[in-house]
Amino acid sequence: MAEKLGVYICGGCEIGKALDLAGLAEHVKNSKVAPLCKVIKTNPVLCSPEGVAEIEADIKAEGLDGVVVCACSPRVKWDIFRFGDKIQVERVNLREQCVWSFQDDAKVPGLLTLMAQDYVRMGVTRLSKAAIPAPEIPETSKTLMVLGGGFTGMTAALNAAALNRDVILVEKGDKLGGKALNMYKTFPLAAPYDKAQDTGIEKMVAAVSGNPKIKVLLNSTLESLEGAPGLFKATIAGSVYDVGAAILATGWVPGEAKHLEPFGYGTMKNVVTSAQFEEMAKSGKIVRPSDGKPAASVAFVLDMDLALKDVSYDAAAACEPPAPLAGDAPAEGEEKPFVYEQTESAKHLAISSEISSLVALKQAGYVAELNAGAVAMVLYDHMMVPGINEKYYKAAQDNASIMLTKAVVTGVTESGDGSLTVAAKDTLIGDSIELVADLVVLPTAVVPVTAYEPTMNFVYRQGPHFPDLKLFDGFVDSNYICFPYETRRTGVYAAGCAHQPMTMANARDDAAGAVLKAVQCIESINRGVAVHPRSGDLSFPVFNFVRCTQCKRCTEECPFGALDDDEKGTPKPNYTRCRRCGTCMGACPERVIKFDSYNVDQIGSTIKEVQVPDDMVKGGPRVIVLVCENDAYPALDMAAFRGKSWSPYVRFIPVRCLGSVNAIWVADAMSKGVDGVMLLGCKYGDDYQCHFVKGSELCSRRKENIAESLKRLGVEAERVEQYEVAIDEYDQIPGLIEKFMTEVITKFGPNPFKGY
Amino acid sequence: MSNTVRVQPDLKFVKELQQFGGESLKKCYQCATCSVVCPLSPADNPYPRKEMVWAQWGLKDRLLNDIDIWLCHNCGTCSDLCPRGAKPGDLLGALRNMAYKNLAQPSFIGKFMSGKGLPVLILIPALIYLFIWIVRAGILGTAFPLFEMHGHDLVVSKAGQIVYGGLFPGDFTIDPIFAVLALFMLFGFASGVSNLLKSFASMPKTFIVGRKKEPSFLCAFIETIKYEVAQHTQFQDCGADEKSKKRFKGHLLTMYAFLCLFFVTTVVAVGHWGGAFLMQKVMGLTDPLTQLLTVAGATPMPLYSPVKILANVGAIMLVLGLTFLTSRRASLDKAKQGSSFDDWYLLTLIWVIALSGLGSEVFRLSGLATIAYPTYYVHIVAVFMLVAYLPWSKLAHLVYRTVALAYARKIGRIPMQPVQH
Repeated sequence: MAEKLGVYICGGCEIGKALDLAGLAEHVKNSKVAPLCKVIKTNPVLCSPEGVAEIEADIKAEGLDGVVVCACSPRVKWDIFRFGDKIQVERVNLREQCVWSFQDDAKVPGLLTLMAQDYVRMGVTRLSKAAIPAPEIPETSKTLMVLGGGFTGMTAALNAAALNRDVILVEKGDKLGGKALNMYKTFPLAAPYDKAQDTGIEKMVAAVSGNPKIKVLLNSTLESLEGAPGLFKATIAGSVYDVGAAILATGWVPGEAKHLEPFGYGTMKNVVTSAQFEEMAKSGKIVRPSDGKPAASVAFVLDMDLALKDVSYDAAAACEPPAPLAGDAPAEGEEKPFVYEQTESAKHLAISSEISSLVALKQAGYVAELNAGAVAMVLYDHMMVPGINEKYYKAAQDNASIMLTKAVVTGVTESGDGSLTVAAKDTLIGDSIELVADLVVLPTAVVPVTAYEPTMNFVYRQGPHFPDLKLFDGFVDSNYICFPYETRRTGVYAAGCAHQPMTMANARDDAAGAVLKAVQCIESINRGVAVHPRSGDLSFPVFNFVRCTQCKRCTEECPFGALDDDEKGTPKPNYTRCRRCGTCMGACPERVIKFDSYNVDQIGSTIKEVQVPDDMVKGGPRVIVLVCENDAYPALDMAAFRGKSWSPYVRFIPVRCLGSVNAIWVADAMSKGVDGVMLLGCKYGDDYQCHFVKGSELCSRRKENIAESLKRLGVEAERVEQYEVAIDEYDQIPGLIEKFMTEVITKFGPNPFKGY
Repeated sequence: MSNTVRVQPDLKFVKELQQFGGESLKKCYQCATCSVVCPLSPADNPYPRKEMVWAQWGLKDRLLNDIDIWLCHNCGTCSDLCPRGAKPGDLLGALRNMAYKNLAQPSFIGKFMSGKGLPVLILIPALIYLFIWIVRAGILGTAFPLFEMHGHDLVVSKAGQIVYGGLFPGDFTIDPIFAVLALFMLFGFASGVSNLLKSFASMPKTFIVGRKKEPSFLCAFIETIKYEVAQHTQFQDCGADEKSKKRFKGHLLTMYAFLCLFFVTTVVAVGHWGGAFLMQKVMGLTDPLTQLLTVAGATPMPLYSPVKILANVGAIMLVLGLTFLTSRRASLDKAKQGSSFDDWYLLTLIWVIALSGLGSEVFRLSGLATIAYPTYYVHIVAVFMLVAYLPWSKLAHLVYRTVALAYARKIGRIPMQPVQH
């Protein structure tokens, strides 16, 4: 706990013009928090070398253990206001949240001063309840385990070996190489990106086999993965290995044949899949399976309308209704045995359309190459060749042996001699057409292995699989912009087609990225800090098990499965799995979970520092806004920076994630007479933006429970409301606040608990 | 347009098209920018986008029966603005080039219309007239004779003048051969036009609101002559930039120059065969009309003869027009718009005719026999080529395009009167 604090009030960036700095300092001196503050000073420009030097001098002279910088947002100048490992720093955001965004209300005098006073006292209180965490540093294994010996897995293994890491490469089959072994050629991997090229897989297999850092385990699967990142025990083919982090590169399997039946697959001999066609090309002969004659014309059907007719893209259809919160879960002993739900479907044809497009272009090139004078016809609905592969598409267009047309394929029929007629409508010439072909090639859907089996076989309380795979049709969940490799299980990084259908060029980059992430993971654990997204955070959840009632809310709700049960049924934290979001802290009804630098008491006390006038008409209402510090808080800063302003009656309190919001904070606010609580967090649902995946969604469900409790107390449930804000929606913030102020505060009037 | 069409891509045809000047046609990705920017393309079923698709698919029948290739006047705007450099303008040009080579009978001449066949095409007239020259030189005792008039006869004399008709007597070495050639050409065009009209038979007829009945072909033909030919209305609408204006002027000048020269040739022919031969010699007439005709058609003409003046004005217009056309074609951005063998064949041939014609006159007047006769020889060879191969050369457009535009009027593909912009 910081007890000797220095409070520094900055006058720069218009703060000094808008506020009476000396008066503010005087207010702190006379306030209830004064005993904590050894130094209270003002400075015209705190971030100047002189300002910083003054703070440093005071730290030395007065032995301060904490500094409250009352200036700008903590998101700026954090590198300037940094005073070593022993000194905690709290930033009071007077600039963005107070001065720049202030909107006066003529009915109540001195609102800006009151606001600044509140924020400074809140900052002092918040810091006084924080301590510097001292995590235990575990003895970690630095070995990387790569699952899958295909192109992605081998690329990952070679990258890891190049970083001087020991690698265990696990391959289910009896040889390395994976799907690339069956390929005649692949899409271009290098400039000028216009020719299909050799996969180079044989060379890669030789490089992996000959690398002393890589231990290859063939005919093996991961039977179980126990423990936590840095400390994993992986059971592979009966043996146990110490593993630091894992790369999931188990790749894909072809989609099921039944989806292709509307195109005659299975009934007409000369209708083949692109995988079969690739094997033909690899053997050097493109022939009709019916009579072995060389194919003179090959139709590549990319439009999958017939197969996708009944497919629903409705997210609600894919999502189960939200599970009841852990507290309402059935009692122990009723648990059903785990059944993995397979997610393969015709939808994978649509999901794989980029790869299918490229494969068709590539294989259309094989046709004239291997059968002189033969024609390839490509019928597509959408030719999907994003990025650099546009060049490959152009090259295919230039090939006089390839005919391309947009078309909706309406059927394939067979004539007596085995040749096929493809009927299509909505073509480029406007007419419906019929094409006669010796061979019809249908796309092969890329279905991740994870659609069929848990693969990782975690020995985690939340199960052996990645959660929520159904939402992603079996592909391993990750945020493709912010966290492309991170799965829902810390220490396991997905790459290649386990991730999404991708080209070898993309898989190559993906494998490299996943390896770097895995290395970063181990190197963070070595230092006792969080991996991501709170990279470098020293704090960790501390459990006071004496008061734990074993309700298991924390173990159930942790988005990352960080908590197991011990023998007695008490939660067993695995710190290296944890991402420090505080969802467990928000879940715990007994409030036994805390972080040294972030805890229930700290935020509760901060809320209590807000001065609420007894008379709402004279002093105005008060609203607490709990702000997610990942996206909503930056959005607030941006809004202020761009000259937006809002009600002077709101007080912002940053939280790690809305998932960490404990119901007691709302109760604290209400009992203090606060008129409303706004929860400002990320979007949730199937296109969630939550850094902790489930935080804002959990908060929204807990809010319903909170609302019920409020009703029982006679307080309107509407006084607590959650809003979703994306980081780029800064312009909507004033509107949201305005809406809350008018719809809630004006409508329901003062909190009935005011003045108690 | 919902009838199912059986499509069989003909890749040989695609490659053939690429050879004829449509080499970039595969680049097209059907954005339709070309059809939108084309100043002439009709709103209904516009070209050249649909031709690009047909070409990529190798739909030979559709392309060979397409009237729209004759509506295009090749300003190059489509190729200029094509985002993929697919040069739709060049494709239509290539299709026309193919039409020149295939429409008229006998079609083997069309096969020679390429860089490879060119020497054969030149050698045929070159050898014929070289043979005549050698024989005549033997008779006259010199290859570069000078002549004097003795009564009605030309006599070789060192102090005489250059008379081309002395070396190559028109009555025996020029007129009969060219008469045969003209017949041959007319036959070629007759077969070509008949094939062209047959190919149009499959064109859909446009229903036009308010039009009571289809106009007669003659009616449509007259309108075409009035607008597209006489005034170059399509050309005027086709492209608004500096280069297109140059092309408009150049083409107009060249066409009227040809008309002038055609008129002069007609006067000479009528004067000679109608006046001097038929009326004077055969019928023995001596009336003033016969005399006027005879004088007007007598060569060499004095420089003050109005016919000669017209011939010289025509020649100057031709050189001017050719200069415009050539400088435009030479300055084309090759990445945007290509020039085919046929383009350069025709331009070069007309240049040779114009320059050798003027040269013949100038050298004749300056008395340089050793230069004058070879120049005249070149002139005859070039004119032979122009006339004999006309239905298979790019110049055939003067017939095919006129017929096609008239037919397009008749079926309503283009309006009877040009729309005023």
